[in-house]
Amino acid sequence: MTFRFWLRRPAATLGAALLLLQVIAIVFAGMLAPYSPTMADPLHSLEPPSWQHPLGTDVSGMDVLSRIIFATRINLLVSITAVAAAFLIGVPVGLLIGFYRTIASTLVMRLFDFIQSFPVFVLGMALVSVLGQEIWNVALVLAILFVPVFARLVRAEVLSLRERPFISAARCSGAGDISVMFRHILPNAMTPALVQLSISIGMAILLTAGLSFIGAGVRMPTPEWGLMVSSGAQQLILGVWWVSLFPGIAIVLAVLCFALLGDQLRIFLDPTKRAPGKAR
Amino acid sequence: MTPKLAGPVVRSWRALPRPARIVLARVALIPPQLFGVLLVTFVLVRLLPGDPALLLLGNMATPEAVASLRQKLGLDQGVAVQFVRYLGRILHGDLGTSIFTSHPVVQDLIERAPATLELITYAMILTIVIGVGLAILAVIGRGGVADHLTRLYGMAAGALPDFWVGLLMIYFLFHIAGWAPAPFGRIDTYLTPPPTITGFYTLDSLLTGNWSDFTSSAGRLVLPVATITIVNAGGVMKMTQTAFAGIYDSPFIRHARACGLPQCRIVAMSLKNSLPPIITTAGFLFGFLLGAAVLVETIFAWGGLGQYAVQAVINSDYPALQGFVMLAAVFVLLVYLVVDVLYELVDPRIRI
Amino acid sequence: MTATLEVERLGVSFGPSGAPRQVLHDVSFRLEHNEILGIVGETGAGKSVLAHALVGLLPGDGRVTDGVVRFEGRALADMSQRERQRLRGGTISLIGTNAKALLDPVARVGTQIARVLRTHRPCPARQAWRQAVELLGQVGIVDPAARARAYPHELSGGMAQRVVIAMALITRPGIILADDATLGLDATVQVQVLDLLVQRSRMLGVSVILITHDLGIVAHYCDRVAIMRAGRIEELRPVQGFLGRPDTPYSESLLAAARARPVPAEQRHAGKADKLLVVENLLKLFQVGGTQPPVRAVDDVSFSLERGETLALVGESGSGKTTIGQCLLRLLAPTGGSVRFDGQEIAGLSEAHFRPLRRRMQMVFQEPYVALNPRWSVLDLVSEPLALLGHHSRSQRLQRVEELLEMVQLSRDLARCYPHELTAGEQKRIGIARALATEPDFVVFDEPTTALDIRVRAQIIDLIRSLQSRMGLSALFITHDLNSVRSLAHNVVVLNRGRIVERGETEAIFASPQQRYTRTLLAAELPIEWSASRRAGAATVANPVSEHSA
Repeated sequence: MTFRFWLRRPAATLGAALLLLQVIAIVFAGMLAPYSPTMADPLHSLEPPSWQHPLGTDVSGMDVLSRIIFATRINLLVSITAVAAAFLIGVPVGLLIGFYRTIASTLVMRLFDFIQSFPVFVLGMALVSVLGQEIWNVALVLAILFVPVFARLVRAEVLSLRERPFISAARCSGAGDISVMFRHILPNAMTPALVQLSISIGMAILLTAGLSFIGAGVRMPTPEWGLMVSSGAQQLILGVWWVSLFPGIAIVLAVLCFALLGDQLRIFLDPTKRAPGKAR
Repeated sequence: MTPKLAGPVVRSWRALPRPARIVLARVALIPPQLFGVLLVTFVLVRLLPGDPALLLLGNMATPEAVASLRQKLGLDQGVAVQFVRYLGRILHGDLGTSIFTSHPVVQDLIERAPATLELITYAMILTIVIGVGLAILAVIGRGGVADHLTRLYGMAAGALPDFWVGLLMIYFLFHIAGWAPAPFGRIDTYLTPPPTITGFYTLDSLLTGNWSDFTSSAGRLVLPVATITIVNAGGVMKMTQTAFAGIYDSPFIRHARACGLPQCRIVAMSLKNSLPPIITTAGFLFGFLLGAAVLVETIFAWGGLGQYAVQAVINSDYPALQGFVMLAAVFVLLVYLVVDVLYELVDPRIRI
Repeated sequence: MTATLEVERLGVSFGPSGAPRQVLHDVSFRLEHNEILGIVGETGAGKSVLAHALVGLLPGDGRVTDGVVRFEGRALADMSQRERQRLRGGTISLIGTNAKALLDPVARVGTQIARVLRTHRPCPARQAWRQAVELLGQVGIVDPAARARAYPHELSGGMAQRVVIAMALITRPGIILADDATLGLDATVQVQVLDLLVQRSRMLGVSVILITHDLGIVAHYCDRVAIMRAGRIEELRPVQGFLGRPDTPYSESLLAAARARPVPAEQRHAGKADKLLVVENLLKLFQVGGTQPPVRAVDDVSFSLERGETLALVGESGSGKTTIGQCLLRLLAPTGGSVRFDGQEIAGLSEAHFRPLRRRMQMVFQEPYVALNPRWSVLDLVSEPLALLGHHSRSQRLQRVEELLEMVQLSRDLARCYPHELTAGEQKRIGIARALATEPDFVVFDEPTTALDIRVRAQIIDLIRSLQSRMGLSALFITHDLNSVRSLAHNVVVLNRGRIVERGETEAIFASPQQRYTRTLLAAELPIEWSASRRAGAATVANPVSEHSA
């Protein structure tokens, strides 16, 4: 991985750099943040960006930069945990309901159809509201919403793969159900799900922030990007732009990072574009 | 799709024109889906910890009111009975009473639906036109400036939070530049809204010839519609681009070119062949925008269903929330019905 | 008099201008009025690129780097965009491969033909439609008025090809460029379509360029032939002279490969008649859903196979031959009938009970690339069946894989490659190596020679022949390629729509077929040896043939 490797792939470079930045923010939040993310300081309320407060302060005088840094933990961890859980449940379920075509498979599929027929944000909002507005409930709800996404993608791949001649050929070579499913079908069916993994994390970040924005997620003074944007919304038309602007940029960069990585993953996972062995 | 039916039934089914068969087959699916929607909204409230009657009435309820609602809901009886009663009430148009507004939820929803529909209808039309237009430009001018710019936009648009874009627009276009009208509702407060004909202020004011109402309501639509369009047109563009590029490179288009057909004909042919995925995307988008409306309406104080839902969440107004979720699901159901019918109409290969 | 088309020292390159990849070098030829020129070459010879360069539609970043293309003396490069567009379809019409993919799926075929006519000769829509219907009748489509209203998916491959021919003819062009136009069609349909194309072109005075990889087609239909190899024309001569004595060694090798293998299948060792496989009244139905009756894909088929015998199942697409093969290996469950392998009934066996038999019964799959898991290396692919034998250590497995690769005449270096890095011929050989890994008693070869270049096809036939004699294989050979049947099979069963039409010893069937269907099949073959007699026949009127729609 030389310098030129990265220079030739600006998208991958940007994605990787953003990811690194976020990992640093998560791990070293305490050292990086100049102030406490939750301590109100009414004397320094709504100060514009300055040397003391590089990104200004919000209505209760909390430092915007420190809050953005600490919020990375909540926003990213919630999104990644939720999507990872959905992936770990959705992929095997999709494999099974694609491979075995029984009534149970059909029923599970109908259930997924049903969950997905609700507008994502509406269902998320209702579920969080009913379960209790707590951060881990947000993660739980996101996981529920994303399981069908992964299961469906994998199932669609499995359905087309199981009819392919190389599966018949594997059967002729003595492969049983387990071997066909896990050694032949699964590796070929994973690409869309893996790419979706990264896209879904981006979507989860947007959903988490959106839920907090309308007040259906975490509550003040917890540092969370959507909540921070929302806390600045009232003062925006008075000319106080920094409270809403900067956390929004954090959201955009975080989502962009995963979108870029997803694109790179798609290219990397295509077996016909890698060429070990002989080159023609 | 066709169930095993007796001979004569099959024959008369076959005798129907294809569009009629398509519509009938789809409409037949509505009742079971509707039943599913009602089941989910019922279960949703049952998930609540505590006494549903108390939760549905709020903390201020008198013990008599609670007892009477308990009986009405059948809480002293089995879940099946409760569900049947729930269905019965919904069939009579009773979705309960909102704790926050103290009005029947049905009335609240009917009052607010046109505001949301007007917003998302315009937003959707603009999103589709821009998304599909950009996709076509990008594919035709492949490798050129349009292609690179659209790729950049597609990537960025997917990362934008709509609520944040809305706020930026307000800040720059209203606060700084002063071009856009204030983000406070659908029409200037000193104007009387036009009489309700369609519920769309823009259409109603035109129909009644009220020019000042029209300019005001159209002006108020600009920022929220632009917000939704900027955020969502990128996704539509990417989907369309994939579908359109696949068609544009396909053997039959190359053959059409070898036959000497002019470029405009070829683009039209490709577009017609890409319609099925575009229709699916549009249907999905329409449902999705209902969710987006929740955020955008809040920012622009739109007074539609979305804002109503947010108030319901904040105030733990469960009857209102339940009503909104049900309406959203039914709405999506209807949109998908239209999508499926259109999809099958434009593709002669689908057998019905 | 100027030639219809003149190509002078044409060069075409792809790729970035810094490092261009030249695909056509110095290609020159003339096409005279009312002439049929054949252009023959193997995959990658540049035939298709040439066709697209002639109509000015090179794909991707392809560009003409040298030379001139002249139509009636006018250079293509000097024409404006608009003139070129009028040239395409107006002066020179292209007919491509796989006609069903060449038609707009959401437009009626009549509309599509009328659309081409109206682009080049503006006229009222009704008149264009009338002309389209008339022409559909002339290209042998029954009930053209009704068929013009059909969508492409409602047509069979042969009918779609006729529609594409009608699209090419409607503007009365001077040249028709047929780029592998009949590839993938059944032989009987191919002959009908080519007869029609050639006969209409001769009638209308249209010059034709037939691009193909099949020397049989050239021998039967063309006046002159150009042999292409690696982007150059190696040889350009009248067909008669070429068939008699080609100039270059390359042409010689092509011709040798195209000839039926001179030696018929080897005689079996005259041992006792020991039946290895007995199939009785095999039945396979496919439910099409809804109210239609099920399709009888295999309908009451019985045959048997002796040890060391190779039996060919011959038939066109839809004859049920591949389905039979899949039923024998339990890739499909038969609906009825009995299959006995080495005395054991296997038709009703569960997968678990059948598994041990897989070691003894194997299959070589039809399309080589899709039958190999794209994520597995050759080593893994060939080792997989070895697990059926059990107890192999890693080094033993490696050694066995190398033996197998050597047996199918592949370099052992290929073991680390992935399927997409191999040529079609190599992929086919990997498929054969996999099937033979467990040293089976019985192998089904499903279309082992289709979709391969002539010389590769000849190599695969030679390979199978050598394996037959070395291993004493009993094999079922499923194909529509009668030429290879002659080289490989002892006995033949002819199938049509799931039923057996005729059976017998290979030589007897070829010498004196008893059934009309078998005679039709044989007549549709275009071996280069019989060219002279058929060439006379090609000029006679081809009858309109009704086909069943797909």
